[in-house]
Amino acid sequence: MKEKKREGVLDILKKVLFVDILKGLSVTLKYNVSRSVTVRYPDEEKWIPYQRFRGAHTLNRDEEGRELCVACELCVKACPTGCITVVPQEDDTGRGIADRVPKIWKVDLVRCLFCGYCEDACPTTAVRLGRDYELACFNRTDAVRDRERLLRPQEVPEGFEGGMVVSARFERTKEGIRVKPDIWKPRDKDWWKKV
Amino acid sequence: MTTGLVTLKINGREVTVREGTLILDAAKEAGFDIPTFCYQANLSGLGSCRMCLVEIEGQRKLQPSCITPVMPDMNVFTETDTVKMTRSAMLEFLLSNHPLDCPVCDKGGECELQDLVYKHGPRKGRFAEDKVRHHDKDYILSPVIVKNANRCVQCMRCVRVCKEVVGRGVLGAVGRGVHQEETSFLRTRLDCDHCGMCIEVCPVGSFMRLPYRYRARPWDLVSARSVCGYCATGCRLTLERRGDTVVRAIANPEDGFNRKLLCARGRFGYDVMNSEERIKTPLVKERDGSFRPVSWDRALELMKEAILRAGPERAAGVASATLTNEELYLFQKFMRKVVGTANMDSTSRWSAESSLKFMEAAGIRGGGTSVYQCAESDVVVVLGGQLSEENPVTDYILRYINGARRNTLVIASPRGMKLDSSAQLSVRTVPATTGAFIAALLKALVEKKEVSMEGMEAVKGLTVEELSGVCGVNADDIRWIAARLLTAGSVGVLAGTDMLRYDDGAEELALLVRLLENTVRDVRVLPLLDRANQRGAWDMGVHPYLEPGYRPAQRRGHDVHGIVELADSGGLGFLYLLGEDVLGLYPDRAGVERALSRVGFLVVQDSFMTGSAPMANLVLPMAMYGEKHGTMTNQEGRVQRMEAVRRPEGEVRTPLETIGRAGNLIEKDFPVVRPGDVWKEIQKQVPGYGEVRGMEAFKGASADQVAELKPSFSYAVPERAEGEFWLLTGNHLFHGARLSQHSGILRELLGGCVVEIGSTAAQRLGVGEGDMVEVEARGYRERLPVRIREGTPDGVAFMPENFDGKDANRFFDKDRVVSTVRIRPYKKQGE
Amino acid sequence: MDEKTRREIEGKILPKYRTRRSACMASMQLVQRQKGYLTKEDMEEIARLLDMEPVEVEAVGKFYTMYNVERPVGRYHIQVCENLSCSLMGGEHILKHIERLLGIKTGQTTGDKRFTLSVVQCLGSCGTAPVIQVNDDYYENLTDKKVEEILERLK
Repeated sequence: MKEKKREGVLDILKKVLFVDILKGLSVTLKYNVSRSVTVRYPDEEKWIPYQRFRGAHTLNRDEEGRELCVACELCVKACPTGCITVVPQEDDTGRGIADRVPKIWKVDLVRCLFCGYCEDACPTTAVRLGRDYELACFNRTDAVRDRERLLRPQEVPEGFEGGMVVSARFERTKEGIRVKPDIWKPRDKDWWKKV
Repeated sequence: MTTGLVTLKINGREVTVREGTLILDAAKEAGFDIPTFCYQANLSGLGSCRMCLVEIEGQRKLQPSCITPVMPDMNVFTETDTVKMTRSAMLEFLLSNHPLDCPVCDKGGECELQDLVYKHGPRKGRFAEDKVRHHDKDYILSPVIVKNANRCVQCMRCVRVCKEVVGRGVLGAVGRGVHQEETSFLRTRLDCDHCGMCIEVCPVGSFMRLPYRYRARPWDLVSARSVCGYCATGCRLTLERRGDTVVRAIANPEDGFNRKLLCARGRFGYDVMNSEERIKTPLVKERDGSFRPVSWDRALELMKEAILRAGPERAAGVASATLTNEELYLFQKFMRKVVGTANMDSTSRWSAESSLKFMEAAGIRGGGTSVYQCAESDVVVVLGGQLSEENPVTDYILRYINGARRNTLVIASPRGMKLDSSAQLSVRTVPATTGAFIAALLKALVEKKEVSMEGMEAVKGLTVEELSGVCGVNADDIRWIAARLLTAGSVGVLAGTDMLRYDDGAEELALLVRLLENTVRDVRVLPLLDRANQRGAWDMGVHPYLEPGYRPAQRRGHDVHGIVELADSGGLGFLYLLGEDVLGLYPDRAGVERALSRVGFLVVQDSFMTGSAPMANLVLPMAMYGEKHGTMTNQEGRVQRMEAVRRPEGEVRTPLETIGRAGNLIEKDFPVVRPGDVWKEIQKQVPGYGEVRGMEAFKGASADQVAELKPSFSYAVPERAEGEFWLLTGNHLFHGARLSQHSGILRELLGGCVVEIGSTAAQRLGVGEGDMVEVEARGYRERLPVRIREGTPDGVAFMPENFDGKDANRFFDKDRVVSTVRIRPYKKQGE
Repeated sequence: MDEKTRREIEGKILPKYRTRRSACMASMQLVQRQKGYLTKEDMEEIARLLDMEPVEVEAVGKFYTMYNVERPVGRYHIQVCENLSCSLMGGEHILKHIERLLGIKTGQTTGDKRFTLSVVQCLGSCGTAPVIQVNDDYYENLTDKKVEEILERLK
């Protein structure tokens, strides 16, 4: 009986002194002063994935700027969804590393399941799954990326290790909106530790 | 020929094969596959690639199975560890100098080296030295062949096929050891048949098709089995497309009687299907002479009105002998049942009588003969024509069989040909004197051996010398041929289209065949035709005197000559030209031009704007081979089914659909049909076709006599003034069956229209290869480059048939047996 | 190829053989003697005479090192054997020595068009290695001194 009484008194004391509220507030206050975990994407920051990330395709060139793709169509053969189309042509003007170059090289990112088989199949390491993961678009045709676009230098260079948040800028261009990272301004090198 | 049997053991399994069989073939029969590069059926044995080495009990070293014949009680092992190790080692050697540029190579995906390495090969190479490189960039050997010597495995198939099958031998193995390169003379551009056989046999990507270069991968292609539409050899080919574009035609070695063989027209003529020049919609002629596109409904309505307006007596039709059996059958049914006329033909070049006689003499009405059977006879006689250019694959078959069997090959033709080099005797006859030549042969046979046979009495009054004076063949040569014919166990006769064109020699040929049947017993006659389905057209009854199955027509109509005459007199209200260019082919251009302009309503259905098309009131587009299903009957009587590789584009329709709809419009019970329905009807109507099953078969038709053959035995040399040339025409190696002019590849090979004369004539005129000459006759002149043909005598000239703009038929005179022309060197002004 | 050579092939070489094409090697040898090497026209002419294809003549010419197909050589064609016996006996040294003496590399011709140096396979005289062949003559058991003497004589 006595104990019951004591509990009643404690309850009243807690209520009078706002203990629960303070407890709750202390969590909030603790987070207020602790380091932030959220990424302020897309306005200020952007997550750069690790090197092995499989994002949208890119086509590479060699050191002399020649296209590495020889249009062998092995990526087409390897693709489980049939999202890649390659049509070869002859061009011995030095555009590619061989006189066989792609006339058409396009990938339908809506169909693609980013398995990376195309990368594996490629005998010249021309096709790589890059670190571009912002693939949203307003219609399906925009999701088909052609050779010209894929050949553009990657925003994040191949050699950049990634796995960090860097500062970024939100931009509106003719092609739509995009978030341009500045990889030389890392915000948070070891983001995972904070989680 | 030995026919003994040998029993041996292969991997412990007992097999019995013919004596002289190679171990490789015996193993295949026993169900063991031995890998090889240099072995190729029909080519001489080489044994250079060492892939096919096998172990034979009692022999210390491994033996190449592709050149080792079987011996009794041999014990062969094809799958021992030694053999497997050797295979892998051989492949490692081959790969040590192979550039391994498979991703770039056009052969990638269908390469024999890839397949064998995948199956037997080493997984790792140990060779660390620099590889031999013959050149950095692929070089072009001809407008259709591109070469990469680095990938070569030195199997020499290309060199052998070029020499032994094609008969050109323009490729050689230059250099020694690893530096050996199979190429042309000093790597220069080839001046050859451009048949691409070297590409077809190449196991790797050393010889490649230039038109197909970097177009696709084998797994991109959709293919369909078709039949070549360029001549009546009727080669089977597989058409392949990527997307809607047909990118190549290949011969499948496992499919069709021609196995790997195709000529330039067959292998590279496929691109007519992709041509931009095709007629795409129905066109109707306006008052001012221009064409306006109309709908099919309107077009067929116009056709119906014209047919009803003209009436049965004033209507006619000519169908091309390149259409399918189904189309031809429906065409004649439409003409007979709906239009109500028998005025029809399947050619623009010879008369109905001439074709009747030829059918009778060449045994066309009585079922088929295989070209192999004919070529394997002890004595093979080729009569007339230019086999090597008109039926190139028949020429290949004759050549390699002759090379292997060493049987006697005799050629009697007005023009020199490539096959001459294989022939034991090749004689030049005066044009249109095949009859006299055969009569001389008959007389020579009778001289040697007394034969009492009906019809032979008249022969006794002739002399060989007199006849040899007419046909221009040495009497001794004729006697030599006769002696060979008498001692032969079997005789094959190949009868060319010259006999049809000049209505010449059919009676004598029939007599010769009967005589030989009495003495030799085994006689095989093979007609050599130049239109893909000429035989089928006759079988289907597209003939003014014959109904389907060679039944005599109840009511005879006009043949092409009759139709033209009728038109010229203004008595033709409706003329339907289905795929046939009468203006470009009829042997009197001025006359037929006048006649066609007097036709009440001319309908031309064709794939391209031919010579006749601009004169038409209504032009209809037509689907071509590769765009339609159906069957074709080649010159042997072999019925082959063909499939469409793609649908016709846009408004283009098959003749079957056109005729069906037009017929249905006029008569309600005329059915709009599918090829299968017509085929069922053909099987009922045409004897022999009922037994045809599956994709390919000989028809064993037999029918009553279609013509009474009575030789007149009176001959004369066709007129020719001193210094003039007899002008012959026909298919050219790169130009035949009209379509080739619209094929970009063939046009490039051909270069343009040429006039072909012999070297003696060229010397007399003082012209060389490629020089311009002026050909003149009947007030018409044409300047053409000369092509010199070895073996053609002076006084004989040739121009390809139906070449738009350079029409050979302008020089022809319908009333003369063989037309003549004057040829003089053409000098540019100031020279 | 001049008329005389053509007549010699027809008259002297061809009768020795049963088939025309067998005379190929002998004819090529004869033609090469004139200017030391075979031109494109020569090979075409030989092919025409012997009923062969030009590429077959080329193939024969490029198989044997003794024919110089489209490769002009100097007045003296020095051929050094590089096979086993000669190499063991100092053939390679001889080659280097000749290169030094003439100031050219293997396969080259001196500026005065007098010497051409090439390497060949076994000359069949292993017993007297090292061996060189100058035009049609063999020089055997060579030493540096001998080589110098030979070249001096030919200069």
